[in-house]
Order: sequence, then structure tokens, then C-alpha cells
Amino acid sequence: MIEIDSITKTYGPTKAVDAVSMTVETGTITVIVGTSGSGKTTLLRMINRLEEPTSGEVRINGESTLSVKPHILRRRIGYAIQGHGLFPHHTVARNIGAVPQLLNWPKDKISARVDQLLELFSMDPAEFRDRYPAELSGGQQQRVGVARALASRPDLLLMDEPFGALDPIIRTRAQEDLRHIQQRLGSTIMLVTHDMEEAIRLGDRVAVMDGGKLVQYASPAEIIARPATDFVADMVGDVERPLRLLSLIPLSDIVEEGPAEGAPLSADASLREALSACLWSGRSAVPIERDGTPLGRVTFEAIRARAEMQA
Amino acid sequence: MKIGTVLRPVLVLLLLALVLRPQWFAPLFAPLAPSGGPVIYERASLLSLSLSHLALVAAASAAATVVAVTLAILVTRPAGAAFRPLSRTITNMGQTFPPVAVLALAVPALGFGAGPTLVALFLYGLLPIFENAVTGLTTLPPATMEAARGIGLNRWQRLWRVELPLALPVTLTGIRLSVVIALGTATIGSTVAARTLGEVIIAGLLTNNTAFVLQGGLAVGLFAVLIYDAMVQIERRLAKRMGG
Amino acid sequence: MKSTGAAISAPGLLFAVAGVAALLTPFMTLAANRIVAGEGVLAWNIAGPAAVTPGLIAVLGGLGLGLLQRPASLRLGGAVLGLGGLLWLLTQGASCLLAETGEYARVSPAVGFWVLLVVLMLLMADALTAMAPKPLMRGAILVAVLGALAIILGSGALSDLSVMQEYAGRSDAFAREAVRHLGLAFGSLAAAVVIGFPLGVVAHCRAALRSATLPVLSFLQTIPSLAMFGLMIPILGWVGATVPGARALGIAGIGFAPAFTALVLYSLLPVVGNTVAGLAAAPPAALEAARGMGMTPGQRLLRVELPLGLPIILTGLRIVLVQNIGLAVIAGLIGGGGFGTFVFQGLNQTATDLILLGALPTVVLALTAAIVMDILVDLTRRLPEDAT
Repeated sequence: MIEIDSITKTYGPTKAVDAVSMTVETGTITVIVGTSGSGKTTLLRMINRLEEPTSGEVRINGESTLSVKPHILRRRIGYAIQGHGLFPHHTVARNIGAVPQLLNWPKDKISARVDQLLELFSMDPAEFRDRYPAELSGGQQQRVGVARALASRPDLLLMDEPFGALDPIIRTRAQEDLRHIQQRLGSTIMLVTHDMEEAIRLGDRVAVMDGGKLVQYASPAEIIARPATDFVADMVGDVERPLRLLSLIPLSDIVEEGPAEGAPLSADASLREALSACLWSGRSAVPIERDGTPLGRVTFEAIRARAEMQA
Repeated sequence: MKIGTVLRPVLVLLLLALVLRPQWFAPLFAPLAPSGGPVIYERASLLSLSLSHLALVAAASAAATVVAVTLAILVTRPAGAAFRPLSRTITNMGQTFPPVAVLALAVPALGFGAGPTLVALFLYGLLPIFENAVTGLTTLPPATMEAARGIGLNRWQRLWRVELPLALPVTLTGIRLSVVIALGTATIGSTVAARTLGEVIIAGLLTNNTAFVLQGGLAVGLFAVLIYDAMVQIERRLAKRMGG
Repeated sequence: MKSTGAAISAPGLLFAVAGVAALLTPFMTLAANRIVAGEGVLAWNIAGPAAVTPGLIAVLGGLGLGLLQRPASLRLGGAVLGLGGLLWLLTQGASCLLAETGEYARVSPAVGFWVLLVVLMLLMADALTAMAPKPLMRGAILVAVLGALAIILGSGALSDLSVMQEYAGRSDAFAREAVRHLGLAFGSLAAAVVIGFPLGVVAHCRAALRSATLPVLSFLQTIPSLAMFGLMIPILGWVGATVPGARALGIAGIGFAPAFTALVLYSLLPVVGNTVAGLAAAPPAALEAARGMGMTPGQRLLRVELPLGLPIILTGLRIVLVQNIGLAVIAGLIGGGGFGTFVFQGLNQTATDLILLGALPTVVLALTAAIVMDILVDLTRRLPEDAT
């Protein structure tokens, strides 16, 4: 559990982060979202003490981060940034093994861990281990950057706009991969983004920052349904709110017995995708399947009913 | 910047005084001269030596600039592209030739006097100018070049109106390097009987007269620093005007 | 564009024209003694037809092979063949011309030889550039060329030449001055690194120190070398006379100490400047990541900034080494020794060959140092070549 306790950062007269308190549960993804200058990155960087808080403290599993030297603290916290920040003069393996090496792991343990992580990120160790960052695609570089942050099995993974440099298609894929890996490893992740779409897609909890203050900290559904301030509502975008809500609900929630025509959707897909399929192909219902076996259907009416219920 | 605005006129005045009225400095240099020996170099006036020194450098640098920029233009045209790797090798390796060695090697071919100095200064001065002019002409912003073609400038117009002006700041840096090297190398030219301020220094070295060494050294040093500074100022102006 | 021109290398054509023109100028000079000006002898007159013809054919053949667009290896072969022919002509000419003259007569290569030498070396460089050998291969080529040079000089094939006779009379002095020259160049480099590298590292960390040091050092760099050497004389003379123990260390107004000090002062700007530039070359994101993963400032310096900046730092050392090998010549003027001693003696006596005895080794040394340092710089760029 990560407890942030009325943490404040002032630069001269301006308060970059103003008495922010929040608690992050172990094994969840928390997304901090805000515009530039909202203090979201400063908040993140105070957790591994890349910025020293002016006042307040952060506790990881009950222990104050101020009780250890900053560089020792940082070795326990994974950190992934926009534009990956890989060391251009080190191979992929050395990049991923950087923190374990700082922690003096034995060599064979490091190389085993490197291979394990490469496989986890669907990169063949034999092929990629000895490559240099410049020989990788943007998506691969980003995955190696995240793998490096996870290498020492940190208590917490901090990510600062990790997908900011990726083009939209690769970005969606990277977000799915992150979700998938987080669920497998049970990692605790705090991620900073300016993109509300990304926050809603990835976050178990979303923290909205504005002018250094935490204006709302809630589940994505709550943020969309009941934005605490006009600023949050703006960020969510009024017009798109129903669609954003639907995107949070899996089809398995409202699947029902009965026949439907056309191409089936996966039960893991969201109501938004089903709605889109209905509108596009002029159907009033779409068939649902899981791993190839039919489960039933989702009707246009059911989607509408569910949307009204949320609002 | 502030220090520069105060220091610059002071140095200019100091240099003018040293060159025009060296006698004023006699009390200052006296302790350094051998007892009973001359304090101020009088075999030739510092003014005439300075003028001859500067003329040598100016002539060599002007010739080097014309030739080097012409060559740079040639190798950056499609027809001259075959020569570009070669020209790069020549510049790289040529700059490793010690200026003194170039000077000394010019003597057997040209005899003593201003001739070998001029040739050595010219040859050695070519390299930095050529290198920088090629860099300038090959690193032009592609969008600007595309626009120049787009508005219908022909090759000559592009060269004169776009490429050369854009490459000018980088080329000027090359000319500055070349001039500063030439100022120093010209000093050594006095060992082969060229009339330069080096004459004063060498006279001092030969007669153990530190006062002479200091006069000559100070004059050349001030010229070098002031000319270097002036050229840096010009480059800054140009760079600012071009929004660089 | 031109279909017929594609097979002919344009630089090769230039080499061939220059080479043939050079053959029409005097190839060697024959003088009655070492001071007087000699008279030029054309290449085909330096010896009998039987001796000259193979050499001329080799030179022309080499230039001819240079005309080819590719393969580069054949052009390289042409350069080697031409240089071989040049050497053959030189040895034949030297012994043959001397055989017919008096005891004090001197033969030396003349303008034709030098131009051909430069043209063929450029052909070699052009061919090698096209072949783009890897760093280690370049090292091997350098060793081979220097080895060939050593064998030729050691074999005595050139001992009839005037410059070699100057050497023969001074072989002890030559060895002494060579050691002195190397001592000046490498010693000042080492001293500049010992002083400049830590200064550069500190300046990298402290912006205030950086903005104070670099202008001072660039100012030092603009002082003309002769003036700098001259100014060191009174300063070190004063130090030697007043600081206790300094004289015992060999610090005095003339000789080695002022030359050495002047070279060190000239070296500081490239060392400090390139150290600062090299350390600043690490990508900001990589540094942020290094900090974020818990590297201490020392670890960041050693593991990230230094390895990434090494090529730039070494480039600074290359500049210093090449520059100091050249500047050390001036030490000869203030009694500091080195090859400059021969250069300035030669200038005083108007003895061309003595000038060459000083200037040629300096040039060879500077070129070798430049090539070796370039190889080192390339080796430290550990990024694979296709990745940049």
C-alpha cells in the first residue's frame, strides 16, 4: 500500500503540488491525469524523491520514503519515462539488468531475469538480448524500457507518460500489454498521463490533478458519471461521456440467450464496441462468443438500458 | 558581455599605443631588458611590421577564402560529388600537417622571404574554410531548399540567393579559425625572413632580451584576440539575423 | 548521367593528369654540394633506359589503374604499384647520378617526385575511403605502411639521397631529438589530461566554473605560438630563479620547461572543452532514467556520461596530440629540442635537406597520431554502425 500524506512542493511562491493525499492499493493501476502544469509529474517524481517534497511524506507499506537514502529508495521503485530513456551504449540485456546490477544480483540470476522479462514482453531473448536500443523499433524500445523498470521486482512501478512517444496504433497495443502484464505480475503501478482516454482505459483508480490540487480520486466509472468539478467534466468531455462509460463495461455483463446475425464479438469487448457494431451494420443485436464458443447475444436495447442506468 | 564592452576599447587603445608609441612603454619593459641593452625594438617600427604582418595574413586569407569557397561549391554540386570523399580525406589529413612544417617545406621550393610564408598561410588556411563551407552547404534546411526550388529559382539563383547566404555563418567560422592560425603562423614566418611581428620576438630570443619578446608577443597576441573577437561578433550578428 | 563516363573515376582522371604533368618536371636534383642550388633532372634522364623504364611503367600503370571507377582494391593496387615504381626510380637515380660526380655532390628528390608521391598517396587514400575498412583493419594497414617505410629506410636503399646523408651524419642527434619531440608532445598531452580532465568533470557539474574557465582557455588558444613560447621564457626563468627547488627540477627560462609549459597551456582548451561537451552529450532521457533507477552521481558519471562521452573526449585528445606534435617544432627555436632543431638549423644554413630531416618525421608522426586516434575514437563508438 502506498500512502501519500498531504504532500506539497513549492517553487518560490508557486505551489506545484498542494497538499495532495491519496492511498494506492497494492496490485492496482492508479492513473494520475491532468493538463501540463497541473503538478502531476511533480507528484509522481516526489514518490521516488527525484523531487524532494517541501512538506508531507510518502509511505510505502507503512515505511516513510524519507527514512532511506534517495538512491537506495529508487532502486526499489521501478521508473519508466516517455521516450524510454534507454542507455544507447548498452545492449538490451544490460539495459534491463541495470537495476539488478546496482543491487549486486549474481550474474546468472540477472541473465535469467532478463530472459524471463523479454519473454513476458513477447520478445525472443535469443534475438533481442544483444541488440542495441537504436536497433529496435519504437514499440520495442518502449517495452524494453518498461521491462527495465520491472527487472528488480519493485514494490511500485512509476510511469511518466510511458506511451507518449508512440503512434496511436502501437500505443493501444502497448496499453493492452501493460494491463495484461500488470494482471499477471500483480504489480502496483502509478502512471502519469495527459490523456483521459488512456486514464480510463488503464486505471483501476483515476486521480485528476488541476493547478497542483487533487480534484478527484475515484474509479473511472465514478469519474465519468459524477465528475467532481467542471474541470474534470471538461477533461472527460460531456459529449463523449456515455460512450466512455460504455467502454468500461464488458459484454459479459449483459449477455443474454438468443440468436443474432453477423460477425460475433468477444465477451471481453466493451459495450462501446458492440454499440458501434450495431450502428455500423444496422443490426439490432450482435452474437457474443468466448474463445470461439457462442455465449449468446447483446441487443441494442440492452445497451441503451444499461447506459441510462449509469446516468 | 559587460566585461567585453569595457575590455574591448581598453585593449584596442593598448594595442594602438604599443604599435604607434612603443617608447611610452619603455619604463615598463626596462627591467626585462638585459642591462645596458636596448629596451624598445628599433630596427624597424612596430607599425610597419604590424602592417606587413596584417597584409600577409589578409592576402593569404582572402586568397584562401576565394579558392576554398569555390572548391566547396564545386564539390557540393552533383557533378563534383565524386570528389567529395577525396576532399574530406585531404582536409582531415591536411590539417594534421604542422603549420611550421608547411612553412619550412615551402622554403626549398620558394626561397626565403614573404613568398613561402604567403604560400604556407594560403595552403594551411584553405582547409578550415573549405571544411566549414562544405558543412554549411551540405546542411541547409531541406524545407528551405525545397521552397527555393518551388518558387522557381534556377540553380544559380538558388546558389547565390539561398545556399551561400545560409552557409555564410558556418563559413565565417572557418575563416576565423583560418585567420587566427594565419596570424600565429605568420609570426614564425620571420624565421624565413618574412617581415612580421615575429621578427621582434625572434630578435628577443636570439639576444636574450625578454623586453623584445614581450613587445612582439603582446602586439601579436592583442591583434589575434581582437580580430578573433571582432569576427565572433560578426558571426553572432549574422546568426541572430538569420534567427539561428 | 554520362553513360561513358561511368567507368572512369573523376578523381582518378585528375590524379592521372597531375601525375603525368609531374613526370614532365624535374624528378631529382643534382647539386655540387649541400648548400648550392642543384639542377633538375627529368625522370627518364636519371639513369639508363634499362633502369628507368620499369619504374616509369609502374608509375604510369599505377596511375592507369587509378582511372578505374572500381573495384577499389584494384585502385589501391595501382597506388601501391605506382609508389613502388617511384621508389625504384628514386634508388636507381640516386646511385646512378652520384656515380658520375664528385665527392660532395648531393642528389635529392625534386618537385616531380614530391608531386607524384602526393598524387599516389591521395589515390591510395581515395581507394581506401571507398573500401571503408573497419577500425582494426585500418590499424593493420597503418602498421603495414609504417613497416614498409621502416624496411625501406633500414635497407639503405635510399642512403644515397641527400636527406639520408644529413641523417647519417646526425643519427645520434636525430634519435635524441626524436625522443625529445615525443616527450614534448606526449608529455604535454599527459599533463594536460591530468589537469584538464578533472577540471572538465568539475566544470561539467558546476555551471559557474564552466562559464569562467572556457573563455579563459579559448583566450590562451588565440595567443600565437611563437609569442606563447617566448612569454614562457621570462615566466619560467623567474620561477626557476625564485622558487626554491624549482631549478633542481629542471625549471629554467630556456630549454624543455618553457616549451613544455606552453604546449600544456595550448592543450587545456581541447581537453577541458571536449570533456565538458562529451559529458553533456548523454541523452537527457537516459540520465533521467539513470537517476530514477537509483544510480548515485558517481555511478551516473562512470556508467552513463563517461562511456557516452568518450568518443568526444578522445577527439579532444586527438586534436591536442596532432597540434602538439606540430607545435613542438617551435621548441627548436627556444632551445627546447625536438625535430624543430633540425628545421631551424636548416633554415639558418639554408640547407634544404636538413629542413626536410626535421619536417618529414614531424609530418609522418602527426599523420600517424591522427590515424591512430581516429581508430581509437571509432572503437569507442560502441554503437553499431548501421544504428546511427
